[in-house]
Amino acid sequence: MIANEVLGVPANASEEEIRAAYVGKVKEFPPDRSPREFEGIRDAYETLRDPRKRAMAMLLSASFAAPLVSLIEGHQSRRVFAGPRPWREVLKTK
Amino acid sequence: MVVYGRLDGRATLFQLRYAKPPGYNEVPPRRRTANIAVSQNSSAGVSPTPFANDGGEAFETSVRQLIANGKSRIALENAKQFHKTNPTAASESLLLDAYLARVQALLDQNLASEAKSLLELVRERFPAAKRRLDNLGVAASVRSGDLAGLLQPLNDPQLDPVRRSAIEQIIQTQITDLNALADCASLPPEHSLRQAAAAVERAFNAVTSGPVTEEQIALPEVSHRSPLAPWKFLIRAIACFHRGADDLCRECLAGIKPESVPSRLIPALQKMLGMNGAAALKASESALVSQVNVNLAELRAALANLDHAFAKEDEGHVFKAMRVAVRECQRSAPDRLAILRQIVSVRGKAGGLDPGRLEGALDGAAREDAAFFRMYALAIESSGDPDDLVEACEEWNNFRRHALREGLFRSDGVEAAILYLHMADVLKGIPRGLLKDVQRSGQWGRKPAAGEDRYFLYPDQLYARSCAIDPHPEAFSQWLRWAASQSVSEAEKVAREWHKLRPGDIDPLLYLMDRSEKRNAFPAALSYLEKAERIDAVHSAVRAARLRLLAAGAMRDLQRKKAHLAMEKLELMMTLPQSQQGDRSAFLAALRLLICVSSADKTGAAAARAETETLLGGSLSAGFLVFGIASVAKRLDFVSLPDAKDIGRENRAAIPACLARVMAIAKDFGITKFQLPVSYFAEAEKQFPQVSDSLDVEQIRSLGEMGMATGHPKLAWAASGAGLKRGGPDEAYFTLLRARAAPPDLATRFLALAAAAAELGRFHRDAKIVDQAVEIGRNPLGGESFPLTIEQAREVVRKEIASPAFPSAFKPGPDYRELLHKNLCQCPDCSRRRGETPGPFDEEDYEDFNELTDKEMRDLFNEQVPEEIPPDIADMFFEIMKDAFRSGESPNKIIDQILGGVSGGGRGKKKKGRRK
Repeated sequence: MIANEVLGVPANASEEEIRAAYVGKVKEFPPDRSPREFEGIRDAYETLRDPRKRAMAMLLSASFAAPLVSLIEGHQSRRVFAGPRPWREVLKTK
Repeated sequence: MVVYGRLDGRATLFQLRYAKPPGYNEVPPRRRTANIAVSQNSSAGVSPTPFANDGGEAFETSVRQLIANGKSRIALENAKQFHKTNPTAASESLLLDAYLARVQALLDQNLASEAKSLLELVRERFPAAKRRLDNLGVAASVRSGDLAGLLQPLNDPQLDPVRRSAIEQIIQTQITDLNALADCASLPPEHSLRQAAAAVERAFNAVTSGPVTEEQIALPEVSHRSPLAPWKFLIRAIACFHRGADDLCRECLAGIKPESVPSRLIPALQKMLGMNGAAALKASESALVSQVNVNLAELRAALANLDHAFAKEDEGHVFKAMRVAVRECQRSAPDRLAILRQIVSVRGKAGGLDPGRLEGALDGAAREDAAFFRMYALAIESSGDPDDLVEACEEWNNFRRHALREGLFRSDGVEAAILYLHMADVLKGIPRGLLKDVQRSGQWGRKPAAGEDRYFLYPDQLYARSCAIDPHPEAFSQWLRWAASQSVSEAEKVAREWHKLRPGDIDPLLYLMDRSEKRNAFPAALSYLEKAERIDAVHSAVRAARLRLLAAGAMRDLQRKKAHLAMEKLELMMTLPQSQQGDRSAFLAALRLLICVSSADKTGAAAARAETETLLGGSLSAGFLVFGIASVAKRLDFVSLPDAKDIGRENRAAIPACLARVMAIAKDFGITKFQLPVSYFAEAEKQFPQVSDSLDVEQIRSLGEMGMATGHPKLAWAASGAGLKRGGPDEAYFTLLRARAAPPDLATRFLALAAAAAELGRFHRDAKIVDQAVEIGRNPLGGESFPLTIEQAREVVRKEIASPAFPSAFKPGPDYRELLHKNLCQCPDCSRRRGETPGPFDEEDYEDFNELTDKEMRDLFNEQVPEEIPPDIADMFFEIMKDAFRSGESPNKIIDQILGGVSGGGRGKKKKGRRK
């Protein structure tokens, strides 16, 4: 997974945002309870805090070879914003 | 006031009515017959009836039963008939109830205008029932979006709380059109209800149309006592649903009042949350679920199928699967369509698919933005083909242009610098000759446009751009490594540029010092060394360099017969603390001896000789060291060594150990041109097996290196055998040494040793050994190295330890052919490079035979079959061959079996190959 996705920050996140996201994730996955997740979080943080590593990760992160199914990974179904109309139709029906 | 209501028992208005205080409703309880409760009571005969006879009573009961059953139209017809034939107050009351039931039914069917028309008619006929009719009129107005009548009383600050509560109840349970509420002219625009309705409407539209912020759904205009409060819960529930916070969504749903309008969405939301026990859905609810909660199973299957088609490289299948995947993506995940088009387009273009067909199958062109070019460049460079690498650099340049335009990074940002480095790295995969051709002619698929800057074809320009933007040591280091592979002058230029931009870096100084030293420009080397010492005096390379440069300078002075200068340098060396470490003091003593000899100082020479012998533990080692230093200083006239045969047996046995020790000293001082009489190396080879057990690993390594450096591979071979016996982390080194020492005609054993060394190096995490082993495993035969497992590598080591003798054509040692056959590439090119003769079908991509059509197979067969074979026999042979191919037999074997006996192997025709 791409480093900024691991920490849940945008690609152009500032140092403060990265730091805050890292601290938040470490609280969520402390090293003593979730060592594997913590390792990934630490690696992602190390990548993002170093501008050169971050730039290299950005260059090489294109996932043209990954299975296409990964485009919808983690979703059995997809929640779509269908607009207010179908919701209103239900509201109108007693 | 609230006398209308549903007849199916689901609406809550009856509860509201019963909740009202007695006397509020002006219609007497007996007259409130337009509802189930009264009707049921009536039918049960609880209340007295004004009808005098049983027939009238029975008729009234049947009409009320019809009303209760929702048959309002028939009930009205019957009531009209009854009132017409027997007009009494009771029949009029019954008729009025029937009318009201009919109006309510029309309202329930969303026929508000029809309901209002009928209501007007009833109002004219029954003016006494004004209050009941007014209330129903309000309901009809609410249904048709006309809320003025309902909301008008709210302008009265003195409005009875009970009445206010009833109106709010209607708002909460009946009003679905919040726009109408927000725009209702009967309330002033600043009225809190209008403000709240407008805010809820905005939030509802936002939350159902896209991601929302907390601020968008905060709705401070809606208090928890507002009749619109349930909408707040609904809007929050929808927001949580779309955010994937399902638990929070459930909590919000639980907060919605069951009788309120928003509660109508609870079943659909529960269904979408996958909650067990969700009620069966109505048509509108099912439509909502299918539009909002799109099932991705079909898209997932389509994408997997497309992946499979790409893997099979079946063009027809790829295009077909592409169309299906795009169609399914358009249907169920339109927001993923752009990225899907880009990825598929990149794969297709990189795989050589026709661009026009590709665009057609994708139902449109892929968006060519920075992300696209980045993927495309990566896809192309991943092939590793030199021609592709040139194109990859051009695509990286396209990526850079688009990224700058899209604002992904700045032209002077670190991202641009890293990109230039990466492009230079890509260019390293292109053979120098090809790159020169491309740079000259631009032949890489298209002609360059006039004035086009083709910097991306020149590694030096790429490195220079990168270092100008981000003068980082790693960037300079890469540039210097590349330049060193081009020419010494180029590398020195880069090192000087590095030093100029980053004067605090020690690496360029060490490089320049090293180059000066190699040119024998010792003053220049010392000047760079002094600069390096000012940066980091304790740097190991700096400390070693000071001693080494002084030693080299002293030996050069000796060569120039300037003993006094040599002595000055020696005195300087003596003051250095590192000169007293290990055997370095022995080196200094030996150097002093030669200086004394040069300056005819016999006393000093004798003292120095004695000191050298003492420090090295004997005259033999001392003799070797003095002889070696004299050879470097080109003053062999100062010293002579007897022939190895002429020294005693005990001394001869000590030769390997002494040589190893002296070679280690020479290596420490960076001396590579250390010479000794050849007879000693030959004697070392002879003595080594007897004394190897007494040597330590470092001595064995020194002897092995010495054997390779001086052209005595048998000594290196013997050293590698002794080293392998010791085991441990050095086994990778000694396996590599053995490969280097193997006779060149034993290709199989050499390859097995190189591969084993590479694998053992990986096991011991020794990158240097791995690099060297992979390199020698590839270069001599021109093919790629092949992988061994660690078990296979250890098996090679075991076999080598069991076969210590130096191999020859007659005694080649262990047979690794089977091992190699399993691991070596069997393609024709690699087979030929290994000296093997490829079979006729080996010219083909023979692994594709199973994919050949009958026609293609027939064409191939016809090219092989001798002309003298009759056609019917040839047909029979073809069928046999086809079956054999299909069952996976070797093409060569089959052709030999079928045609060998008939034609005598006369397969003279040159066969065309099927190339992808």
